[in-house]
Amino acid sequence: MAAIKLTGDTSGEITIAAPAVAGTNTLTLPASTGNIITTGDSGTITQGMIGSGAVTQDKLASGVTSTGPAFGAYLSANQSVTSGVWTKVLCNTEEFDTNSNYDNATNYRFQPTVAGYYQVNGATNCEGSTTRSRVICSVWKNGVEYKRGGDQNYTNCQIASVSTIVYLNGSTDYVELYGLVVASTALFNGITIYNTWINGNLVRAA
Amino acid sequence: MTLPEKILALRPSLSMDDFVSPLETIRLQNDGNGRGDYIAKWNHPTLAKPTEEELGAIE
Repeated sequence: MAAIKLTGDTSGEITIAAPAVAGTNTLTLPASTGNIITTGDSGTITQGMIGSGAVTQDKLASGVTSTGPAFGAYLSANQSVTSGVWTKVLCNTEEFDTNSNYDNATNYRFQPTVAGYYQVNGATNCEGSTTRSRVICSVWKNGVEYKRGGDQNYTNCQIASVSTIVYLNGSTDYVELYGLVVASTALFNGITIYNTWINGNLVRAA
Repeated sequence: MTLPEKILALRPSLSMDDFVSPLETIRLQNDGNGRGDYIAKWNHPTLAKPTEEELGAIE
């Protein structure tokens, strides 16, 4: 027998046919109630049908990238600081905040709700500080300095930047940008979008 | 008078270098929460941390 035909109660029929090639193969039906998916179906594979870890990197099309949280914010007005004091940079204007995880009004921190490894970048520009001689920039995690970036230590120094990857647990962990300026009158420059800023995004889920 | 200026006045042997690397035995901090500048860390090997009374008395 080359095929089995099942006739519908009212109309139509399904034909189960063996391929016209040599070899013995077994088609085992699933031990659960549901529909069998064919190559002609679309939109029928659900998240629950995919085993954990079943989709590997080599099965992804080129150009596929993460849709995890990404944010960017900058200081939109000069922030006066005290010379020699590590001060949180209050980046108050958002450029983008895809998952509403950056607080630009109260705590000025990025606290993602997705666990994973985040690229975080920032810069502090102290142009406008008088007789400036030092500017440093750091990423802080949970209120503690995590990675220090640029440490410019010369007369009329202007910009320090930092870039790092940090694990954030998706609930309580957060990062902030801190800077330090040594000058007779010290400030973080917020004149333009590119002077003093912080941004970041998820690069790898936990 | 700023907090660093008060500390330098109370402990004249200190300099701004004590607040920044590579020494950084003292860390002054401002978390932007209204508390203002404060001494977050004092690890100087010989000098005592100024008390709130000392800092408050100097102008």
